[in-house]
Amino acid sequence: MTGMIQGGWEFVWLVYGITWAGLIGYGLSLARKDARA
Amino acid sequence: MNQRWEIWVGLLGTVMLVWAHYTGLFVSPPEAMMGDVGRILYAHVPTAWVGLLTYLVAFIAAIGALATGRAAWDAMVEATVEVGLLLNVLLLIQGSLWAKPTWGVYWTWDPRLTTCAIMVVAFGVVLALRRQIDAPMRRLTISSVATIIAFVNVPIVYLSVKWWKTLHQPYSSPETVDSAMVTPLRVAAFGMLFLATAFVVRRWRIGLVALQRDFEAPDLPEASAPLKVED
Repeated sequence: MTGMIQGGWEFVWLVYGITWAGLIGYGLSLARKDARA
Repeated sequence: MNQRWEIWVGLLGTVMLVWAHYTGLFVSPPEAMMGDVGRILYAHVPTAWVGLLTYLVAFIAAIGALATGRAAWDAMVEATVEVGLLLNVLLLIQGSLWAKPTWGVYWTWDPRLTTCAIMVVAFGVVLALRRQIDAPMRRLTISSVATIIAFVNVPIVYLSVKWWKTLHQPYSSPETVDSAMVTPLRVAAFGMLFLATAFVVRRWRIGLVALQRDFEAPDLPEASAPLKVED
């Protein structure tokens, strides 16, 4: 285990949270545009 | 129903991505050097692969638009640049959040990071240009040329880790990661590909309706003076 970075889960959660927020947000914005078209 | 096939592709991509991310977060072993921070791989690498692929489709669509002058190609340029830009922005955010615990900084002017940032600006300019130009043929021509120019940087982004000394690790592929990580990485990549395909097709359909209206409308002369009603 020597040399392995310990912890850092907060960065992992931030990455996955922002990724899913971006994908879901874009999907919803497309659905809104589609409804208006 | 035929016009909604992309929704099913998008749903399949979402399910695959959820499974791959769950497996990457809770089932796969920690990475040998980076520990649990290495789990960012399953979000970051598929975003990069599919983002670059989306820009490649934008480049092909731009050539198609210039060659044919058709609204369908123009709508594809708009859709792929927009989805590519979404993935590109996510990629930069993911990358900086991965850089902090591994390199000690959120940002450094490393060749891979710098070329990625240039990519955001270049394709952002394409979308900004499209919003500024009303005449449909002029918009098609200028934004297609801008897309082709912006795309010149995409192979440079890909090859930057080979061409220059960089902090960024070399190419990630199923051959360069441990077998325990390969399956979730592959599934995440295909999941992201399906989801991005669904986004592009849906965005293309929405854009095409508006662009066809623009292309069919007669070109009106610029109004030099306010119109007056005769008594």
